Amino acid sequence: MSDRDYERIFEEALHREIDRRRFLRQAGVGMASLSAMSLLAACGDDELGGGKKEEAKQISGGKVGGTLAFSNWPLYIDIDDKTKQRPTLNAFKKEYGAKVKYTEEINDNNEFFGKVRQQYAQGDSGGRDLHVVTDWLCARMERLGYVQKFDKSQMPNAVKNIEPAVASPDFDPKREISMPWQSGQVGVIYRSDKTGGDLTSVNDLFDPKFKGKVTFLSELRDTVGSVLLADGKNPEDADLNTAMTAVEKIEKAAKDGQIRAFTGNEFTRQLLKGDSFAALGWSGDSVQLRVDNPKIKFVAPGEGFMVFTDSMQIPVGAPNAVTAQKMIDFVYQPEIQAQITAYVNYVPPVKGVKEILEKADPEIAENTLIFPDLSNAHNFATLSPEDERELESAFQQAIGA
Amino acid sequence: MEAATPSMPRAQPDSRPRVARLGRRALDLALKGYAGLALLYLLVPIVVIIAFSFNDTESRYNFVWDGFTLDYWKDPFGFQGLGEAMQHSLVIAGLSTIAATVLGTMMALALVRYQFRGRSPVNFFIFLPLASPEVVLGASLLSLFLSVGVALGFTTVLIAHIMFNVSFVVVTVRSRLIGFDRNLEEAAQDLGASGLQTFRLVTLPLIAPGVLAGALLAFALSIDDFVITFFNNGSYSTFPLFVFTQAQRQIPPNINVVATMIFLVTLAAMAATVLQQRRAERMAEMRPDDL
Amino acid sequence: MAALRARKGLLPWALLAPGLVFLGVFFLVPLYYMAEVSLKEGSLEEGYRLTWAFDNYTNAISDFSEQFIRSFVYGGTATAAALLIAYPLAYAIAFQGGRWRNALLLAVIAPFFTTYLIRTLSWQTILDDASPTVDFMRTVGLIADDGRLLQTSGSVIAGITYNFLPFMILPLYASLERIDKRMLEAGYDLYASRREVFRRVTLPLSMPGVVAGSLLTFIPSVGDFINAEFLGTSNQTMIGNVIQSRYLVVTDYPTAAALSFILMLIILVLVLIWARVAGTEALMGAEAK
Repeated sequence: MSDRDYERIFEEALHREIDRRRFLRQAGVGMASLSAMSLLAACGDDELGGGKKEEAKQISGGKVGGTLAFSNWPLYIDIDDKTKQRPTLNAFKKEYGAKVKYTEEINDNNEFFGKVRQQYAQGDSGGRDLHVVTDWLCARMERLGYVQKFDKSQMPNAVKNIEPAVASPDFDPKREISMPWQSGQVGVIYRSDKTGGDLTSVNDLFDPKFKGKVTFLSELRDTVGSVLLADGKNPEDADLNTAMTAVEKIEKAAKDGQIRAFTGNEFTRQLLKGDSFAALGWSGDSVQLRVDNPKIKFVAPGEGFMVFTDSMQIPVGAPNAVTAQKMIDFVYQPEIQAQITAYVNYVPPVKGVKEILEKADPEIAENTLIFPDLSNAHNFATLSPEDERELESAFQQAIGA
Repeated sequence: MEAATPSMPRAQPDSRPRVARLGRRALDLALKGYAGLALLYLLVPIVVIIAFSFNDTESRYNFVWDGFTLDYWKDPFGFQGLGEAMQHSLVIAGLSTIAATVLGTMMALALVRYQFRGRSPVNFFIFLPLASPEVVLGASLLSLFLSVGVALGFTTVLIAHIMFNVSFVVVTVRSRLIGFDRNLEEAAQDLGASGLQTFRLVTLPLIAPGVLAGALLAFALSIDDFVITFFNNGSYSTFPLFVFTQAQRQIPPNINVVATMIFLVTLAAMAATVLQQRRAERMAEMRPDDL
Repeated sequence: MAALRARKGLLPWALLAPGLVFLGVFFLVPLYYMAEVSLKEGSLEEGYRLTWAFDNYTNAISDFSEQFIRSFVYGGTATAAALLIAYPLAYAIAFQGGRWRNALLLAVIAPFFTTYLIRTLSWQTILDDASPTVDFMRTVGLIADDGRLLQTSGSVIAGITYNFLPFMILPLYASLERIDKRMLEAGYDLYASRREVFRRVTLPLSMPGVVAGSLLTFIPSVGDFINAEFLGTSNQTMIGNVIQSRYLVVTDYPTAAALSFILMLIILVLVLIWARVAGTEALMGAEAK
């Protein structure tokens, strides 16, 4: 008989004999640990949710300098491809002596929120001085008390040069807790060599001819808003029920196999590969796509298009809030903003950029993606937190999760 | 087992028909062929990864072959954030491996060499993390950190990695320990060595290969972990996380280069353990049987 | 002698203690918290309160039954496919490998030293609509002219199978390699055909490996979400995707926790059954008698 046999017999014997004793002992241990843990849990109960509801504190004066921790989306600031340096950040360092630690950690609003929410709720910014998120998330951040109020007297450039179109959103009429970084359009980006013609509307994305070759955005407001417009409804006036009709339409299309994927920035890869022929996408990305493949075209849907604005905010507990304010002000100088826009290819929130680019880089100045006609632009209504949550939940289910 | 019972039929002379023999040969060949195909299937994606690390790509996504270049091999970490992510991965892997190996080896020793009550439930308990889906492990750790209020970052990632590595180390070391010859320890003690001396001079060197194998496995798993880290990292990036976030906007060949580097290093390390184990076995065979 | 035995009695526990404590704190306690969160109600704005909301569970199951079922179907298919691929391979290496056994085994495991994500991305390139692979299949007629390989159930299952293959190969190989060759010889001596020897000797003796490999493959497969995310559409999402989405996108922690718990319980039941059948030693890799 091998060692293992002995082990096995021994164990079987153990099981039979001490079952009752073991059960009692385990039950006792179980009770003790449960009560211990519930004590622990009681302490931790509040941490899960419910941020502070006090007024956002205003940033008081202080010295500019030190290190600035700036969190942003990828490819959202100018960079010299050869030297891997970021000219804007270097210029900031030169002028104010503050080093910028730039982290491209934001890929998706919800994902970022999920990551930082709990720290922010405790007044800890995780070391961040600046983050850039889309306006609706800016609103939520403010609602939960996660961001600080600006001292506008420290931001003369921003006050003077902000584009009127983005100066007064309904959630932050005086732009006290958010300052636009870049804006963009949501439109239909397609491969004219594969679609056999020009597309003009979001409804083209529902054309059975393109079954399985179409992608939408996983960003709720961009997708639902665009579909509402395509149905002739106004996203600004949308309430939960109206929005749900759009969600149902999207869900049906997904189930039927019409929609190949719901993407963040990956729609660019699918288009380049030819896996998709048409996508709901963002204007800035299409500029780069056209460089890769000139047959790719962007069209702002005729029925109206969604715009989005990503804004800078200073989270609570930011170690260097004063310098963060200076950075915001810094990029609101037209010359600096022109540098960023020329690389990023989104819509600048600063007046006077077009004039500068007309001299320096006329091609970009002519580009209607970067300097669009905003007469047909739309925003998504700001819903109540409960409605917003329910809509997001339904939308996520519609797109599969 | 070998002894034939009286009712067994008498063995007949070897006269298997030629067809059957050919059939056997064919079966052998088919098996080898199938295995070869399977091996090919396993290796194709790797070949693609390595090949595309030499791609002189013009697009952001590196999926069309544009020409051969060594540029990315000359400067693999030239891509913003890649170097830092890799550094983080290495640090976490190193520290978590050390911790998990220590904890796991101790547990493996206890489980293999001692009979004690509660061995079965302990076995079961250690096996549980291996059986849990990574999503659950990652999410539940997140629940803990959220409820207790710990900031997500380096510490939480380290804790997570140690946690899932411990069970792997236990299983690996344990399976190597099972064949361990106690007589050697007894012999040492008979010759006058104290418990501690025996452990240091006899036990430890003998279990070293197993412990090393466990450590290596833990290291490889830590470098590669995505799901559990994803739930608990805050903004602390590691290499797999970096790939994930970047993959949405671009997939530079640098990533292929680094992946190939990891592959080659791990391959070399595993090969070394295999060779070393073979050498140890050969040496063990040479030991005289009589004591 | 009593003193010695008492000391010996404590030693295993002393060795076990640090590891057990660590696992207890960072594995068990989180599960407890997750269970607690799953019974709460509320939202981020209002905060969460423990209301013993068991309907979180029933709602979770009814809302996401599709993804649950799909996860088990995909996991099961992937496990079966992995078994079909791995068994002959492990058999070939164990019985025909000879001197090259360890090297071959290494070659088999080596692909999995590259990062999981990059491997999956690599499959995207290989299975792409415009790739040579798809071209070939279209010419040969395996798929329709407008068919595709990517973003289908097939590609997701193939991805899962591929990524968890080592978990099937290693236990299979271990148990096949342990088979005493003399037993096979005995079978031949007793004039059994090759097929009979395989069916009555090899197969049963490799069963522990088959069971171990299957379980070790099935479990992570069911909870996977990467393959569905990269290689599938919204019609291929698995329960892992749902959990991730509920936690990180919708921040609906109670539902996410409930889903995680249900998944965990189902798997726990499977493992318990296996432990019953095979013995807890088998869980750790030793063979059962």
